[in-house]
Amino acid sequence: MSTYTIPVGPLHVALEEPMYFRVQVEGETVVGLDITAGFVHRGMESLALQRNIYQNITLTERLCSLCSNNHPFTYCMALEKIAGIKVPERGEYLRVIADEIKRIASNLFNTGILAHIIGFDSLFMHVMEIREIVQDTKETIYGNRMDLAANTIGGVKYNLSNEKIKYMIKQMDSLKKPLEEIVDIYMNNKLVRARTEGVGILPKEEAIRYGVVGPVARGSGVNNDVRVKSPYAAYDKIKVNVNVETGCDVRARAIVRLRDIQEAINIIQQCLKKLPDGPTCIDYLPEIPAGEAVAKSEAPRGELIYYLRTNGSDMPERLKWRVPTYMNWEALNVMMPGNKVSDIPLIITSIDPCISCTER
Amino acid sequence: MERNIQEDFTEKLTQAVGEGFSLRWETDSKGVVTGWCRLNDHSQITNVALIVSRLGGRVITITAYKTKDAQQKDIHEIAYHFDLDGCTCTVTIEIPRDIGKVNSITPILKSADWTERELQELYGIKVVGHPNPKRLFLDETIDEGIMNKLIPLSVAMNGATSKTLWEKVFAATSKEADNE
Repeated sequence: MSTYTIPVGPLHVALEEPMYFRVQVEGETVVGLDITAGFVHRGMESLALQRNIYQNITLTERLCSLCSNNHPFTYCMALEKIAGIKVPERGEYLRVIADEIKRIASNLFNTGILAHIIGFDSLFMHVMEIREIVQDTKETIYGNRMDLAANTIGGVKYNLSNEKIKYMIKQMDSLKKPLEEIVDIYMNNKLVRARTEGVGILPKEEAIRYGVVGPVARGSGVNNDVRVKSPYAAYDKIKVNVNVETGCDVRARAIVRLRDIQEAINIIQQCLKKLPDGPTCIDYLPEIPAGEAVAKSEAPRGELIYYLRTNGSDMPERLKWRVPTYMNWEALNVMMPGNKVSDIPLIITSIDPCISCTER
Repeated sequence: MERNIQEDFTEKLTQAVGEGFSLRWETDSKGVVTGWCRLNDHSQITNVALIVSRLGGRVITITAYKTKDAQQKDIHEIAYHFDLDGCTCTVTIEIPRDIGKVNSITPILKSADWTERELQELYGIKVVGHPNPKRLFLDETIDEGIMNKLIPLSVAMNGATSKTLWEKVFAATSKEADNE
């Protein structure tokens, strides 16, 4: 059988952002992979060093649309660690609510795209229709459908009135039933199972070796969920059930994401119920002394880390962040070989790749 | 009493590098432990990677940055952020100016792969022994070590925007003048 190389990308119908894969195939089967990145590298880490600490809240939120909230959130936590700022308790709960609502929207987007790639377009539209409930909620509470601008140094910039709390409870309730229906389809529908089961296997030991994070790790039985492993904001005060699957395939990763959505609804409801009274943010303009800090959070795609060095001025000395997708790319070298050419876009989608995040 | 991973790490590090390091553990209000370690000898980083590997840890990321030495001269430091079962331990080394290279830890910890390639191209620090040292993001036409330089936007764009803009303005105003 002849071996040849097929190019996938940098612009490809199944990829929303540019990435170039050189896939070596033998007949219909993938035998090797080479990834070339850098098509949308914007030099944002360098840009962050030329802006002051407040401007960087806005800058980091514009890194990526789907996990936009996690970036300023984690960046603010790093600043708060250096300056020793204690965030008011209500602010911590509101931070969790903003983060979980973004998780629901992000995971629905990815599971929807997965349905589209396997050719199940009615399911794709069904998922995107449910996602509209979340988008409407974000627009009503935060005034925006993607970038929430919820975080600031020392707390959050929004508050929830009793009326808005009632509205949120209603919106979360309205998600539950349609969500159960689609989870059932992803788990049991013959067509979906045939395309996703046993495809793109990442064994547990390889998941550990490659240091993958988020649903990619949890789909292979590795639990490194930051919300539980190193709690932040209000995650130490609420119950988080971590979803771990052992299938190690595309299906397992999709199930983890769907279960994460259900858990996010559960977390938001716990937060709304326990939401303490009081201020949402500190009432002074903090001074950031010289120092260094790391802050981590669990973004929809997994562990996000910010490392910040300050020198006492209002410009950071170094701001570095590592997004979850960054760790997951290399694992494609394990997932791809042995699969059919037609499964390439499906396996790429199963790591929920965010290229604008990866390349910064 | 069950030993924690921080104690294990400290003990193994002492065995490997003796007195050649400083290390402190911080616990925040949520009970999350963060480690801050500094090695006197940069070549010991491979020993640290071996310890992290034995403890079942991984590389979260690696940050390179420019800083000043005691004589106020530019030097590079590299901060390795390791994960030890949820605890982030940052191990920092200094790269002497005349050396400009560091041993790769990717052969020991696969999770360092991309981030070592990235720091090599952004800061021009040679990573010795990396299994796949090719460029990650930057095109071959761009010099290595781009993060060491400050290139003002006006220089990078060579005045292109302003020139185009003024040409349009002049064209529009001359048209108005013709019409009058």
